[in-house]
Amino acid sequence: MISTKMLTTVTFLYLLCTVLYFNYLAFRSERLGKVAGTVSWITLLIHIVAILLRWVESYQMGIGHAPLSNMYESLVFFSWCIALLNLLWEWKLKSRFLGAFTMPFAFLFIAYASLAPGISDRIDPLIPALQSNWLHAHVITCFISYASFALSCAMSIIYLMKLRQEEKGQKETRLTALFPSLDSLDGLVYKTIVVGFPLLTLGIVTGAAWANYAWGSYWSWDPKETWSLITWFVYAIFLHARFTREWRGKRTALLSIIGFAAVIFTYFGVNYVLSGLHSYA
Amino acid sequence: MSKKDEKEFFPFLWDSLSSLRLTIGLLIILAVASIFGTVIPQNASPGEYLQFYKPSTYKILKILGLLDMYHARWFTFLLALLSFNLVACSLKRFRGTWRFFSHAQEPLEAAQWKALPLSRTLFLKGLPADSLPRVQEVLSRIFRTPKVIKNSQACHLFAEKERLSRLGVYFIHLSVLVILAGALIGYYFGFRGNVNLVEGEAADRIMLRSEGQAQPLGFRIRLDQFSVSFYSSGAPKEFKSTVTILDEARPVLTESIRVNHPLTCKGISFYQSSYGVAGVKKAVLTIQDRVSRKEITVPASMGTKTEIPGGTSSFLLAQFIQDLQGMGPALQVLLFDSNRPHENFWVLLNHPEFSQKRPGTYQFNIKEIEPRYYSGLQVTKDPGVWVVWAGCFLMMAGFYAAFFLSHRRIWVRLTEKGGKTWVEIAGASHRDRAGFEKEFEKMIQALREKGKSNPEESEPSP
Repeated sequence: MISTKMLTTVTFLYLLCTVLYFNYLAFRSERLGKVAGTVSWITLLIHIVAILLRWVESYQMGIGHAPLSNMYESLVFFSWCIALLNLLWEWKLKSRFLGAFTMPFAFLFIAYASLAPGISDRIDPLIPALQSNWLHAHVITCFISYASFALSCAMSIIYLMKLRQEEKGQKETRLTALFPSLDSLDGLVYKTIVVGFPLLTLGIVTGAAWANYAWGSYWSWDPKETWSLITWFVYAIFLHARFTREWRGKRTALLSIIGFAAVIFTYFGVNYVLSGLHSYA
Repeated sequence: MSKKDEKEFFPFLWDSLSSLRLTIGLLIILAVASIFGTVIPQNASPGEYLQFYKPSTYKILKILGLLDMYHARWFTFLLALLSFNLVACSLKRFRGTWRFFSHAQEPLEAAQWKALPLSRTLFLKGLPADSLPRVQEVLSRIFRTPKVIKNSQACHLFAEKERLSRLGVYFIHLSVLVILAGALIGYYFGFRGNVNLVEGEAADRIMLRSEGQAQPLGFRIRLDQFSVSFYSSGAPKEFKSTVTILDEARPVLTESIRVNHPLTCKGISFYQSSYGVAGVKKAVLTIQDRVSRKEITVPASMGTKTEIPGGTSSFLLAQFIQDLQGMGPALQVLLFDSNRPHENFWVLLNHPEFSQKRPGTYQFNIKEIEPRYYSGLQVTKDPGVWVVWAGCFLMMAGFYAAFFLSHRRIWVRLTEKGGKTWVEIAGASHRDRAGFEKEFEKMIQALREKGKSNPEESEPSP
């Protein structure tokens, strides 16, 4: 399968992007930054072409469906969403400090898709439960929201690194010199969550609507549903905590990291540790 | 409780109930509690629990309501408390918000004017009466058409955008209540159950899941046919039940039910959920007389005796199994001799060699067999589901208003100073300060263009 080979190449390209972004932070050379940005855009392009090709290949096999139907395909899409949001924020902020912290996520998820035992890269036909148009709306909203939370987590890590340095009264190191101020980072953590939270809600709502068609109940406290609600609660806590103005900076940054941990558990943990109806991805 | 205590008790209760700390606390408790429900299997049978837990642990979990946690009293209480908190918080803050909607914007007091985050002053040529249409034009073009209030001292303009943003948070809070109300409507006025229908048979009632009671449907549903198809890999491709709805004995509607394609009739929905083999719809056997070598083909049915021509023997089909120990479809045959049970054996569709080895007068083989399926349908009535969807829609609208709109306001005051127009302009935005500053600057720029022939300007008034 050509698409699978392309995706393997893309995995290595994300590793390259990560290395380039770290070098950019270390050497602070605008040229290196430009190279990192350009390579990332090219990787993103190859990545989406591979996803579309996989879609075409499924039709050639006579079992055509969008490549969003199992663990492998969702990981590949998740990784793409992270890289896309990273580049869009870079473009909006006109700054490339973020890549070194988000590209590792994009790399890890796609590498996990290719390397983890038990994750098959084969294109399988859709089982009856997945034969629905809700599939697209549900998967796309969920993963864009997850990707936005991944970015928020990356921003929080940067925030905490910078805070630690400032608290200790250390001078900026090479790595941290390009980071924005603590206030702007705090704002960015909030802004990425403000994008992710409505999308997560929409992901849960489309999932509920779909469950109502497929299982006859929009909410049945399935572990996947419950964990998505737990994640929703964590980010709701974040938004309310920030609203009181007592919780800012360090505490909300930690909440954003806890939120992303809940996202990861909803995504992987529920499948590997718990059992339930939502067994595809 | 003394009178004084009482006086202080209610405000205290109100303050606690309307505090954001309570909200955060409740959300943390709900999130942590929900984790238990995903780790401890919910609504399993006592037998299943005793496989996992010691009897003492099982008892404790049961008393704590952790085995059907999401329907336990304490969980419901937490949700109710969260709802009260939500209402109290919203009411408390709504008074402050409502002033943006209720009274018309009056000209600002000097103190209010100073408190605004953005303000500029500039001169325009001509008297205020001449400048007014020009300022109106700029505001309309770049911002919004302003409201004009003229009084003896000055001419005031006010314009605002996306006021709805202020209500976003109330929409979201209201939507949570609407969703919970929808869930309650479903709980009290709906039901959830199952029905197993064998092909050719009809039912007018279903079994409720929780109480195990029968629930009349008000009509009959008949399963005409069930079919299942597989991909070449062996994974299922489609489960389909073709059903007919009967009013008394009259067929009203024939429709197929598939996974993701339920059938709804009179507010009751039917979902494909399981299937199985209930017996044989059609079976044709070949029976060979080992002595005369004569072979006959006979249709047979379950439970009814069939005579074997030219002898005293008869047989009936006792059981059908879709897959007998991995050897495929199998029929259990009971053979009678002069009406007395004589022999009892299995006949396999895919392994005729077994029949050859079996001793006896007759050799049985399966020529054709069609299983009779039953289809398991989940049956749901939920009149609250549209309320839930309305709540979800309101929530999304609320998110849009609260997170992506920004209430922006602009005040302008025109006064006459030495034959020219003295323009004071100020603005405030609800969020996205940076974006609003750009918009504000653009407007100042446009006003300056209008008054270009007059270069005199001044920076923010003292």
